Amino acid sequence: MSNIRVENLSIKFRIYHDRSPSLKDYFANLFKGQRQAAYSDFWAVKDVSFEIKAGDRVGIVGHNGAGKSTLLKALCRVYESSDGLITVDGRIAPLLEIGAGFHPEFTGRENIYLNGAILGYTKEQLRAIEPEVIAFAELEEFIDTAVKYYSTGMYMRLAFSLATAMHPDILVLDEIFAGGDAAFMEKAKARMHDLIDKADIMIMVSHDHRLVMSLCNRVIWMDHGKLVADGSPEDIVDRYLAGKVNG
Amino acid sequence: MIKNITSFFNELWIHNTVLRQLISQQLILRYRRTALGYLWTLINPLVMMSIMAVVFSTLFKADLKTFAVFLFAGMIPWNFFSSVVTQSGTSFINNEGLIKKIYLPKGIFPLSIAFSLLIDSALSFLALFVIILVIGGSLSWAVLFIPVAYLLLFFFALGIGLIMSVATVFFRDLQHVILIAMQALFFLTPILYKPDSLVGKVAWLVDLNPVVPFIELFRAPLFQASLPSLNVILLAVLFSISAMFVGLFIFLRQEKQIVFRL
Repeated sequence: MSNIRVENLSIKFRIYHDRSPSLKDYFANLFKGQRQAAYSDFWAVKDVSFEIKAGDRVGIVGHNGAGKSTLLKALCRVYESSDGLITVDGRIAPLLEIGAGFHPEFTGRENIYLNGAILGYTKEQLRAIEPEVIAFAELEEFIDTAVKYYSTGMYMRLAFSLATAMHPDILVLDEIFAGGDAAFMEKAKARMHDLIDKADIMIMVSHDHRLVMSLCNRVIWMDHGKLVADGSPEDIVDRYLAGKVNG
Repeated sequence: MIKNITSFFNELWIHNTVLRQLISQQLILRYRRTALGYLWTLINPLVMMSIMAVVFSTLFKADLKTFAVFLFAGMIPWNFFSSVVTQSGTSFINNEGLIKKIYLPKGIFPLSIAFSLLIDSALSFLALFVIILVIGGSLSWAVLFIPVAYLLLFFFALGIGLIMSVATVFFRDLQHVILIAMQALFFLTPILYKPDSLVGKVAWLVDLNPVVPFIELFRAPLFQASLPSLNVILLAVLFSISAMFVGLFIFLRQEKQIVFRL
């Protein structure tokens, strides 16, 4: 059974005020003895702890810059924690930004293999799912055309079909609901629901509160990097919309 | 450190599909939709080296054929070394989009560069080798030493490449400094001239130059038709191991910070 444990997680970003320090500045500061504070630390996530068990469908809500996406990326190992611990049991599928790692010069088929490898699929798995991915994306005619000639819709369809081709234990979603025409949206939604049903754990970040209410059975509210509330969707979303931390 | 190194290679192994994809991406992509395609990889150094051979053999009043073999044997390791170091320098910066969106062991990026350049270099070596034979180079059993020479050179270049890949993320100026430094290093490495012919005030720079034994590893079998001296081999082994050690040390210490600094 999958399980995620986050203990006192903090993630620090260093913000450089004017620019990235050049070699010259570095040595200049080294010899001055006293290092000038040309940067300030920013805690995108500060002292957050929670546990997610199998069966949980967690929605994360909060204002822009509250640290939601940073938290998701930390779960997917993109960001290393500055402090605290993350323990993840189960195969995690990062659906953070679909289409990341697509190469415009490559054909659709080549991108299935390149992007698929990046998503963690093995070559055998990719060979097995290739026809299904192409069929779902409705790209049979254009699969051997370079992706840079694709329309936005075609691009999104391919990325979505590939990213959702396998069933992960832990599904991590950051505001992705595929583009494309109405017919494809329907199909994509059905597939998304199927994926969510089959996953042990689902975690999503969304500003669409109706979506969060309909898909999640637990909501975490983040504000300025801190976890301010954690509970049932109705309760937390209501409080979040009203802007009240304590119901 | 040992534990980190094991997990470094372990992670790379787990992600070997991505590594292979990135390597083939680098090999295929450059020449897509060009008429001669991959052949450009061979043509480019061949033409460059031929021009240099003609010009410098005239300047040095040397026999063109002899000088060509001499030059080719030195240029092969140099080109590989210099492209690995230069291209590793931008390996993280060029893959910023990917690194910020999805977890991949960071070592994959400099490593894929080193591997794809190794393939390029091995192929242009084969082409040059044929030319060397045609213009009258001597074929000897010593040529069998070349794979060992490549192995040592590969780890030396990769080690320096790892250092550069990390350092450039922190100091962006370095990508330009590397280019200039490599140009200076080219002239301080006995590629156009014999190791002992640079005398005078700058001779000590050549003595300190760690690339010299690697040039010798290739030149001895190809030009002198003999094995490199034990001294040279030991020096090369020492430099390879040191470069890999320092490279891995710096890389493993900073690996987790890279994403925050891109």
